[in-house]
Amino acid sequence: MSTNRDDFGIVIRSALLQRGAKQKFSLFFLILISAGIFALDNSGLKPVKILRSLINDGIYRISAITSSPLRLSSHTKDFFVNHISVYKENEKLKAEVEKLKKQKLTTSYLETENKQLQEVVQLDKKSSFTTIGAKIMLDKNSPYLKSAVINKGSNVGIKLGMPVLSSGHLIGRIVEVNFISSRILLLNDLNSRIPVVISPNGEQAILSGIGKSKPRLEYLPEGFEFGEDSLAYTSGKDGVLFSGISIGRLVFEDGRVKVKLFTDPNQIFLVNVVLDKATDLEAM
Amino acid sequence: MAINVKIFKEGFLRLAPLILLVYICISEFHTQFYFWKIFSFNLQFIIIYYWILRDPSILGYGFVFLCGIINDVVLSLPLGTSPISYLFVSLVAAYVRNATVRSTLFTDWFTFVIAILIGNFITYYLIQNFTELEASYTPMFYNSLFTFILYPVFWGIFELYKKAIVLRTYD
Repeated sequence: MSTNRDDFGIVIRSALLQRGAKQKFSLFFLILISAGIFALDNSGLKPVKILRSLINDGIYRISAITSSPLRLSSHTKDFFVNHISVYKENEKLKAEVEKLKKQKLTTSYLETENKQLQEVVQLDKKSSFTTIGAKIMLDKNSPYLKSAVINKGSNVGIKLGMPVLSSGHLIGRIVEVNFISSRILLLNDLNSRIPVVISPNGEQAILSGIGKSKPRLEYLPEGFEFGEDSLAYTSGKDGVLFSGISIGRLVFEDGRVKVKLFTDPNQIFLVNVVLDKATDLEAM
Repeated sequence: MAINVKIFKEGFLRLAPLILLVYICISEFHTQFYFWKIFSFNLQFIIIYYWILRDPSILGYGFVFLCGIINDVVLSLPLGTSPISYLFVSLVAAYVRNATVRSTLFTDWFTFVIAILIGNFITYYLIQNFTELEASYTPMFYNSLFTFILYPVFWGIFELYKKAIVLRTYD
């Protein structure tokens, strides 16, 4: 018994400390270095953060270049798949155009009515935001994080927590800012929690990512019911996100109320980072 | 001609596993092989485990450490998480290499389970206890399972490759 334990000790010691013919470092030394780096990175010291930002910027650029062949193959596959389903899509689009034509008439009427009402109650006309356009450099779907890296950073005024839009709808917020790149935490990530308001009745809830395409609504009022026209908007209650940014349509799935996002987080390419609310002049 | 073959085999071909490992860590490889919401596998673990076990002169521990750092930056994990995980996978491989006389696919494959479990447990433990990130256990389980299932496939490919890069007497 003791011989077995001795053997194990000898072999594990040899594996940890032996460097072999072409090994410059022992495993033990490198594990210690890794643990040290991990502790330093978690300490949150400012010099370490700056160093990490520089490393991030460098590696993101290299990563964007090296990923291009993989992305090209993916685009080629998508191109062929899209062409195969083009007939069905055409039929669907024709029906959609007809539907939209009808909706346009209704919208036009509502727009006029809304304008008149706004003039009456002198509502603040500021409805748009000051944004900055950015391109997705990396789109990593790891088991730990659903995020995307964009090609703008603190050099253009991006700060932590800023909301990010795609086609005018919220897709996430900034969680990491480097000098020339930033990371967006997407709404469907496990770590994403956003306070929302539900139209038309104005119920408050929290939109939580679950790692799948549709995030779910939590902390809904008791006896909550919703219709086909129920939409989720940011409530701005956290004091970080602006209120009134559209997010998605409510759906009932797997016994939970979920939100089908207006923009598919896996299909984004260009995004807008909301820097501030626009002034009256900008909004006009 | 023979000298050229020798240089090519000793130079580029022996570097290929390392180049592949660096490329996987730095590129969007994970994203491109993430199907049906459950299928993903950790090719880094397979490469590290196989080459440390079968021919450690091809893959140095220092490079394994560097690849871990790159992986952390690309996946936005705290620096040091992946290197620790990869180095423990290397430790299991080095232990198996030292403890066994003659290794076969089955001995490699079943000891690989221990390496995957330790590697993923370390990653999960560090993320859950030392960061504000939240990790879901289910995708990690599927990732580990598919990594285990696919090991023999890559074992076969790497064995063929290893035979191809061996220098013969007249090379």
